[in-house]
Amino acid sequence: MRTRLYLLVLLALAAAAPLGAQQILRWGGDAEGGAPFVEADPRDPSKLVGFDVEIAELIASKLGRTPQFLQVQFTSLDQSAKRGDFEIGLSGIEDIPARRQSLAASIPYYEFREVLTVRDGDRGRYRSLADLKGRRVATLGGTMAYDLLLDAERTHGITAVSYDDDVHPYSDLVLGRVDGVVLDNVLADRAMRRNTGLFTHPGALAVGHYIVITAPENTALRDQVDRILREAMKDGTLEAIFKKWNVWNEDQSELYARLVNAPSTPSTPGTLGTLGTPGTLGTLGTLGTPSTPGTGEKVRSYLPSLFRAALITLVLSFAAMALAVALGVLIATGRVYGDRFSRSLLTIYVEVMRGTPVLLQLFVIYYGLASMIRLPAFIAALLGLGLNYAAYESEIYRSALEAVPRGQLDAARILGFTRMQTLRLVRAPQAFRLALAPMTNDFVALLKDSSLVSMLTVVELTKQTQIFATNIGSWVIPGLLCALLYLAMSLPLGYLARRLEERWRMPTV
Amino acid sequence: MTKTSALVARGVRLKRGSREILRGVDLHAETGELVALMGLSGSGKTTMLRVIAGLEPRDAGDVSAAKVGMVFQFHYLFEHLCAIDNVTLAPTQVLGVSMIDARRRALQLLDQLGVGHRAQALPRELSGGEAQRVAIARALAVDPPLLLLDEPTASLDPARRNDLGEALLQLAKSGRALVMTSHDDDFVRDFATRVVVLANGEVVEQGDPQRILSSPQHPATKELLQIERARKK
Repeated sequence: MRTRLYLLVLLALAAAAPLGAQQILRWGGDAEGGAPFVEADPRDPSKLVGFDVEIAELIASKLGRTPQFLQVQFTSLDQSAKRGDFEIGLSGIEDIPARRQSLAASIPYYEFREVLTVRDGDRGRYRSLADLKGRRVATLGGTMAYDLLLDAERTHGITAVSYDDDVHPYSDLVLGRVDGVVLDNVLADRAMRRNTGLFTHPGALAVGHYIVITAPENTALRDQVDRILREAMKDGTLEAIFKKWNVWNEDQSELYARLVNAPSTPSTPGTLGTLGTPGTLGTLGTLGTPSTPGTGEKVRSYLPSLFRAALITLVLSFAAMALAVALGVLIATGRVYGDRFSRSLLTIYVEVMRGTPVLLQLFVIYYGLASMIRLPAFIAALLGLGLNYAAYESEIYRSALEAVPRGQLDAARILGFTRMQTLRLVRAPQAFRLALAPMTNDFVALLKDSSLVSMLTVVELTKQTQIFATNIGSWVIPGLLCALLYLAMSLPLGYLARRLEERWRMPTV
Repeated sequence: MTKTSALVARGVRLKRGSREILRGVDLHAETGELVALMGLSGSGKTTMLRVIAGLEPRDAGDVSAAKVGMVFQFHYLFEHLCAIDNVTLAPTQVLGVSMIDARRRALQLLDQLGVGHRAQALPRELSGGEAQRVAIARALAVDPPLLLLDEPTASLDPARRNDLGEALLQLAKSGRALVMTSHDDDFVRDFATRVVVLANGEVVEQGDPQRILSSPQHPATKELLQIERARKK
C-alpha cells in the first residue's frame, strides 16, 4: 500500500513538471498590426486570430506546448526577442540582413511583393517611384519598404514619410497628405478593402519574406521551427492557413518548392550577398553586431541623417517653445488682468491642456482635425507641442507675476503709471527673471517630448535613432549617439539659464 | 513763506468687513509742516496714509490732496532697476521728461540725500537706510507737494535717524508738506512740527510735539509712550 502511494506521487510529479514549466510557448507579436497577421477576434476580442496566430499555434502544437501570446510593439519585436521576453516572434516580420545578424531567424514562410499604391485618379500619372519625383511617399517605419524609399530619395528625388502603423499611410493617401504608399502586397490588399479611391500597381518594386525570430542563442529552437515549417510546407498545412486568410498565391508554391528541397537554412538572395556561408548564419548572430566589420561603416553612413534629425528636433523645439511663450504670456496676462469670463475660459484651457496627454492632443490635431483642416505633419507637431506647453508656461508666468510684491505695484500707481505701464515696466520684467529657471526646465522637457511627434510621421532624433537601431540590429551605438546629441542640445541651455539667473538673482522676499 | 494747504481730509471713514478702521478722521497739512501720525498698531495710521494716497477706497469723508509722493516702510524699490533708474522711471515714462534731464535731477536728489555714490547699485545691494533714501528720491522725482512716509525711522540706527530728520525738515522748508507715521516719540519730538495721535480709528489728541509728548492728556497717548519707553530700555 505504502509503496504504491509512493509510486503514484512520483508519477504525478513527473507529469506535473512538463505541465507547469515546459508546456507553455511564449510567442510575441503586435496585435495592432491587425488582420490578416494578428488581430483581436471581432467576435471575441479576448481571442486572437490571423495567419501568424495559426502558424504560432501550429509550431506550439508540434512542439507539444501551449501557445501564449505576448503583445509587443512591432518596432520593438527584435529587441524583445533578444531580451528573451518571448521564445518565438512572428507578426509579419521581414527577412532583412540586420535581423539575421542579431537574431536567430527561421526559413521564410511567406513571400511578399513591395507594391506601390496611389490614388485612383493618379494611376496613369504615378506608375513608378521615378514618377513621384518631388512627391511624398509613405510607408511603415523600420521596414524593407522604408529602406526602399530612402534609396528612392537619393535616386528618384522623392520624400520618404515614415509612419508607426500601416493604416494611416493609406488614409493620408486618400486625404492627399502623401501621393503614394509603398508596402507589401498583404498590407496593400487590406488597405484596398478598407479605403475607396485607391489603386495598387501590380508590379513588384522588390520581393521580401516573412520569418520567425528567436533569441540569437536559441538556434536549437530555430532549427526545430525550420523543421516544422518545412513539414507544413510539404503537407499543405501552411497553404491551407494562407488560403483561409486569402493571401495564398503562386509565389508561395515556388518558395516552398525551393525551401523543401534545400539542405539547410537557406536565405534570400540579399542575405546571402552580405553574409558568408549560409550554414553560419545563426552563429554569426550570437556574436553580437557591434563587432562585425560592416558596423563602423553603417554608423558613419547614418551620421548625416542623425544630425539632420537632431536639427529637426532643435528647430521644432525652438519654434514650439516660441509659440508656447507667446501664448503663455497672453494667457497669464489674461488670467491676472482679465474679466471673470475670460479668466474662467483661460483656466479651462490650461486645465484641459495640462490634464490630458500631449500624445492625445497631437493625434487629435493631426488625425482628428484632418477632415476639417489638413495640417502638414511638422505644423501639426509644432502646434500640438506649442499649445500644450503654452498651458504650462502660462502657469509659470502667472505665478511669477503674482510673486512681484504688491507694494511695488502700489508704488508705481502713486508715481502715476497706468496699469499697462506698470505691467510693462515693473511687473513683467521682474516676473520674467523669476520665470527663467522654470522656463529652462520646460524647454529641456519639450526637447525630449518632441520625440512624441514621430507619431505624426515627423522623423526627429529619437525616431531616426530607432530606425538606425532597427537597421543595424543594435541599440548600443545609436542609443549612445542619440543621448549625446540630446545632451549637446540641452546642456548649453541649462548653463545659459544658470548664468542669467545669477546675474538677475531676485531677493527672496 | 506763505502757508497753503497741501492736504485737507474730513470725516474719513473706512470699514473692513465689520471692523471700523477709521471712524471719521480729520487731518490737514500745510506746506512747511512735518506732521507725525502716532498711535498703537491697529490704530489706523498706516491706513490713513493709504487713503490719502488713493490706495484704499474710503466709505465716507472728503480728501483733497495735492499730488502725492509716498515712501513705504519696506521701500518697495523696483528690484530689477538700479537706484538711479528707480528714480528716473516715473519722470521719463509718466511726465515725459528727457532721459538726460531726468538723470541730472535724479543724481542731484540722490546727492542731496547722501546716496549719490550708490546710483548704480541694485536695490538688493543697498542697506536699509540707503534703500529708504533712494525711495525718498524716487518719490520726490515727480515733485509732489505732499510727501507721505510710512514709519521712516523703522530701518535706521540712531545716527542715521538724525540725518533723516534733518533731511525731512529741509524738504518741508523747501515748500512741501510732509505727513509721516511713527511710533518713535523721540524722533517725533525732535523733528515733527505737529503730532496727531490716533486711537481706534479716531484722532484723540493733536498739537505741538513737545507739549503733547511731555504731558499727554489722553490715556491712549500715555499708553503709547509707556510702551515706547519700555521698548527702548
